[in-house]
Amino acid sequence: MALSTIVSQKQIKRKAPRGFLKRVFRRQKPQLRLEKSGDLLVHLNCLLFVHRLAEESRTNACESKCRVINKEHVLAAAKVILKKSRG
Amino acid sequence: MADHNPDGDPTPRTLLRRVLDTADPRTPRRPRSARAGAQRALLETASSRRLSGQTKTIVKGRSRGARSIGRSAHVQARGHLEEQTPRTLLKNILLTAPESSILMPESVVKPVPAPQVVQPSRRESSRGSLELQLPELEPSTTLAPGLLAPGRRKQRLRLSMFQQGVDQGLPLSQEPQGNADASSLTSSLNLTFATPLQPQSVQRPGLARRPPARRAVDVGAFLRDLRDTSLAPPNIVLEDTQPFSQPTVGSPNVYHSLPCTPHTGAEDAEQAAGRRTQSSGPGLQNNSPRKPAQFLAGEAEEVDAFALGFLSTSSGVSGEDEVEPLHNGVEEAEKKMEEEGVSVSEMEATGAQGPSRAEEPEGHTQVTEAEGSQGTAEAKGPGASSGDEDASSRAASPESASSTPESLQARRHHQFPEPAPPPGAAVLSSEPAEPLLVRRPPRPRTTGPRPRQDPHKAGLSHYVKLFSFFAKMPMERKALEMVEKCLDKYFQHLCDDLEVFAAHAGRKTVKPEDLELLMRRQGLVTDQVSLHVLVERHLPLEYRQLLIPCAYSGNSVFPAQ
Repeated sequence: MALSTIVSQKQIKRKAPRGFLKRVFRRQKPQLRLEKSGDLLVHLNCLLFVHRLAEESRTNACESKCRVINKEHVLAAAKVILKKSRG
Repeated sequence: MADHNPDGDPTPRTLLRRVLDTADPRTPRRPRSARAGAQRALLETASSRRLSGQTKTIVKGRSRGARSIGRSAHVQARGHLEEQTPRTLLKNILLTAPESSILMPESVVKPVPAPQVVQPSRRESSRGSLELQLPELEPSTTLAPGLLAPGRRKQRLRLSMFQQGVDQGLPLSQEPQGNADASSLTSSLNLTFATPLQPQSVQRPGLARRPPARRAVDVGAFLRDLRDTSLAPPNIVLEDTQPFSQPTVGSPNVYHSLPCTPHTGAEDAEQAAGRRTQSSGPGLQNNSPRKPAQFLAGEAEEVDAFALGFLSTSSGVSGEDEVEPLHNGVEEAEKKMEEEGVSVSEMEATGAQGPSRAEEPEGHTQVTEAEGSQGTAEAKGPGASSGDEDASSRAASPESASSTPESLQARRHHQFPEPAPPPGAAVLSSEPAEPLLVRRPPRPRTTGPRPRQDPHKAGLSHYVKLFSFFAKMPMERKALEMVEKCLDKYFQHLCDDLEVFAAHAGRKTVKPEDLELLMRRQGLVTDQVSLHVLVERHLPLEYRQLLIPCAYSGNSVFPAQ
């Protein structure tokens, strides 16, 4: 596939996809239940995870002096951050 | 006199101040030119002051120019100033916008004798009740605004011509010229009070209010609502607030472009039908369904148009397949209506299942379809409980939900010519319907996971967008796919951890404490940074209010601890 870049948009919606989160949780653990505000905290967790991931991949890309974030950058970043977020 | 201007930084204000201070009480009669010159100087500086963006040089230049003029005309201007009370003059300068007209000084000065009589009134006018004194304003005061920067005079003149034309209609105690000139002081105000609409409409046609675009009134829907109010009024409010929590929304994942009106129209029909059948369900099953069926027949007329459009746009194959077997049974049609109504009412948390318990799974699937397509918290409340059961049944008939709306439309088609049967055949009807729907999933088994994946991907894409936003750098598409995989893994880890934590606490429900513990273990929450801090930092206000307990009036804390 051709190298295509996606420029980040200026406005992002800050809503939490609560239905999606709830569904994911149900799919993974049908025996468990998630409390009412629990999914908001899950969303917060996801936000922070994505934030850290983005920062890490950005660092990787800058280190390799690339203008564009590559798959390898993301992969390396993911390894680190997923390990961190293991809990 | 010549040197009353210190040369540090002669701002217009200081210049004016100086002029004021040096004003002498003298006879008012002064040569016009001098007066004009003085006023011009004052106004120039005032205007330059008002144009705050001007550079200092320009200000200085202006002030210097004004100064020179002021110097020359100073001796003569003094008396004139006194006549007008420089205070009022300055007030006029301040009050009048620069766009007040600049009139010919000669013409303005003509009715000079008259103004002096009205001086006190003018003072008042300049201060407060400008609009009242409009016709009596002296041209001398108009000189003040009338002598703005020379560069603007031409424009002002044109404007003044316009204002003159407008002011013709005003009651004039003086000659029209003088009035027009006099009113230039408060010309803008004059205009607004005398002819408020005219200038606005002339100047800004674009701001004219457009009549709100209104949809054509659906007489059928209106009649339907009338009947509804007679039958089951309280549900209307509930149902109307959730226009999108309808099963029909589930199918057009692809056909989002379909305008909402058909949906709402169809939904109204379904709602109405469901409501009626709902209310009639526990009661008279035999008689009342006939009545609603007639209403439904009436609705079906309107719904026909929608259904036609819907059917034509939607995948006709599945619709037609559904149509043929259902040709036989109007009962099933009505049962579908009931079931749909049930699902609708379920969505609205009415809870009364009624006779169509059998159709629950389908209703649930519809509910979940609707939920999935929305992905928001709107349907979440009532949908949450049903969504729990839905998830299991959802896999069974992922396609059925999409097909049921179409089939519903088709059924309504056929219900239209026929009267309502007793719902005793409902049980029978549900069975032929169900195998039909059950038949659907095995067929597109290859595309079975598709609807499951699409909303999943849709939800993930939200976080992927957030990723690209946080990264602030352009990214490759492959990188984004990578991010999706990471998110999947992350969610798995997350759920596992939460399960472990909840089990550790001997619970089967994951509570916020578990989440906090998870974040602490992840290193996000430390002794320095608490969870509330993170919540405040990253979540929008609405969520903050839900998460962080806050005290409200009446000795109440929300959310309750």
